[in-house]
Amino acid sequence: MKVVEINDVFRTYHDTEVEVKAVNGVTLSFEKGDFAVIVGPSGSGKTTLLNLIGGLDQPTGGEIIVAGHRLSELRPSELIDFRMEHVGFVFQSYNLIPVLTAEENVGFILSLQKWPKEKRKARTQEMLSAVGLSDRHKSRPSQLSGGQQQRVAVARALAARPEFILADEPTANLDSKSAETLLDIMVKLNKDEKMTFIFSTHDIRVMKRARRVITLEDGRVVSDEKVNHR
Amino acid sequence: MITSIAWKNVWRNKTRSLTVIAAVTVGVFAGVFAMAAINSSIVQRIDAAVNEELAHIQVNHKEFRSSSDIQNVIQDPSTVISVLEKTPGVTDITGRVIVAGIASTSAGSAGVEITGIDIQKELEMFTLSQRLITGTGSYFGADTKLNSAFIGEKLAKELYIIRYILTPEAFQSLESKGVATSVIEKLKPLEGERFTTEKKLTAAYTGLLSPREIKMYGMNIKEAAWSYREGSRIILTFLDVNGHQTGGAFRISGIFRTNNDLFESMSLFVPEDELRRLTGLEEGHYHRVIARLEDDDLTNSVTPVVREALPGLEVMSWKEIQTDLAMITDYINQIYAIFMVIILAALAFGIVNTMLMSVLERTRELGMLSAIGMNRRRIFVMIMLESIFLSTVGGFAGMAVSAVVIAITGHTGINLSKYSEGMEAFGYSAHLFPTIGADFFIILTVLIVITGILSAIYPARKALQLNPVEALRGE
Ligand SMILES: Nc1ncnc2c1ncn2[C@@H]1O[C@H](COP(=O)(O)OP(=O)(O)OP(=O)(O)O)[C@@H](O)[C@H]1O
Ligand SMILES: [Mg+2]
Repeated sequence: MKVVEINDVFRTYHDTEVEVKAVNGVTLSFEKGDFAVIVGPSGSGKTTLLNLIGGLDQPTGGEIIVAGHRLSELRPSELIDFRMEHVGFVFQSYNLIPVLTAEENVGFILSLQKWPKEKRKARTQEMLSAVGLSDRHKSRPSQLSGGQQQRVAVARALAARPEFILADEPTANLDSKSAETLLDIMVKLNKDEKMTFIFSTHDIRVMKRARRVITLEDGRVVSDEKVNHR
Repeated sequence: MITSIAWKNVWRNKTRSLTVIAAVTVGVFAGVFAMAAINSSIVQRIDAAVNEELAHIQVNHKEFRSSSDIQNVIQDPSTVISVLEKTPGVTDITGRVIVAGIASTSAGSAGVEITGIDIQKELEMFTLSQRLITGTGSYFGADTKLNSAFIGEKLAKELYIIRYILTPEAFQSLESKGVATSVIEKLKPLEGERFTTEKKLTAAYTGLLSPREIKMYGMNIKEAAWSYREGSRIILTFLDVNGHQTGGAFRISGIFRTNNDLFESMSLFVPEDELRRLTGLEEGHYHRVIARLEDDDLTNSVTPVVREALPGLEVMSWKEIQTDLAMITDYINQIYAIFMVIILAALAFGIVNTMLMSVLERTRELGMLSAIGMNRRRIFVMIMLESIFLSTVGGFAGMAVSAVVIAITGHTGINLSKYSEGMEAFGYSAHLFPTIGADFFIILTVLIVITGILSAIYPARKALQLNPVEALRGE
């Protein structure tokens, strides 16, 4: 089943005198259960592409269809609701609301979606234990390590059962041990919850764990390979 | 959830938030307290007007107020009294006999309004008896003869009943009030001398003291020299029912002092029966019937009811007689609210500034919130709540402090008489008892919340202008 379809998508910036084609005619699709990583040199358009898929930005050409929604047809306010309902985001940093505890952060989208309290609590606990942080549920982000914060972000992204999770360089600020732990968790969630993950990364460790590696260069897809792990 | 996040956000930068909250607290307190102090004089004036002079409702012969002819009596006083008795809200009723006349002593004379009263009844209805100056006798004491009069201090001065003498006792009282011995020494040459007016006394000591000493002790000297010979007599002259001139000698039973100079110089009270005897006015005939109500708030609703029931007569509430005071009472809360709006508008700049800083330093966080699906309305509400919390926490603290301070000073009073000699001439007391209506706090609460809301608009719009992609990328 296709979760994301990208048809001949362009994203051009005119900000400076020169025109930058950050995404330059990309056609791709992602299947349910994918564990895909987008790699490529700095400036190749990874972040731009993820933003387009997540409905944070609109393409200047082409079409993106996510879970049956043509994103170009959505009004800005509908895009926000679309993101809340269908996409889980994990950013490089600044993922969490500093005044809330880990538990409240994980439950945040559920409360935006107006989940009843009991269900919300159960799901939040389930997610926190899936990322191995049940004992830290009362901690504020500032009391957690960078790796732990990213795990809370993953739990939050996953809690509302989105179509897929977008993670732009989620391990960029982590030491190798934390990065490995985070990856282990994501791989496991990909298996157990059949959750689709789409990453961008420079990190070899992440690439090694991926089952699909898409390489961008100057806004184009130069390779798209399936990797089989033993 | 959003409410609790907003509340927690307020306390992220404690120093900054507390600074703005403290500013609101101080501003609201200063405003409310100043208003309560101003309100004190107004409340005292209303209290004096109602409780010492007018009561709530007056019924007169149609012509009496324009021409105070002794013949203009209420034709059927028993109907008036029974109508008033049946009107809900009316608690006390009494009738007055009023004639215009002249009061005189060997030294001076003055035009007066002589009011014949039912002493027992008036004691129940009015507090004028409490205005008696100590040492001047009583408000128609037990041994009072029929020809007794209770008069105002101003009138007593016009009639030269009050004099100024620096007796040995006066010097003693100056000493006990802490007047410097050097000043007392300088005043010694005036010992025993009589001054018929305040002016003459002032002229006499002005030559002996320095301007600074006069400014500091002038009031004390006048007070100490103030003297009154108990049992002084005055002659009252007026017309009887047949238009013949008549009159009699009256012994002063006591002198009262109010904050209303006009009332004090014009009014003179005598027992009703004596005035009837001298004028020949029939028993049961009154020029004016007055009524007190359970509560002043009933004035506006009860007066028309009485007026309806007494078509041939003039029915007036105290508000219609003292229109200037009535205007103040009816619009006072609006006037205070306007002042509070000005104060709050100034405070709003502080809140806007704080909120703006708070929004700008949270760019990434707000971008993240929008990215993960917190919609514009929710972000707007969150920012607005933060601002409302700032204004209401400060506002409620300010109101609480005001309430406490007003409760204390309203009880003990604030004496400004040292600084404000002219105030009493206008009917205002220099002794303030700050007070403010509970309903003012309700209006104020609404204003404070509105301040929070309005202060949030600009910062909240700034927050909404953030583009999540750029906010998240921003360094
Ligand atoms: N808002 C923008 N205005 C102008 N140019 C932009 C903007 N955003 C991105 N670009 C340009 O688009 C190109 C792609 O940027 P993008 O951030 O997608 O690269 P990336 O692959 O994520 O790089 P990195 O690995 O460094 O994160 C770059 O040349 C960048 O300068
Ligand atoms: Mg990038």
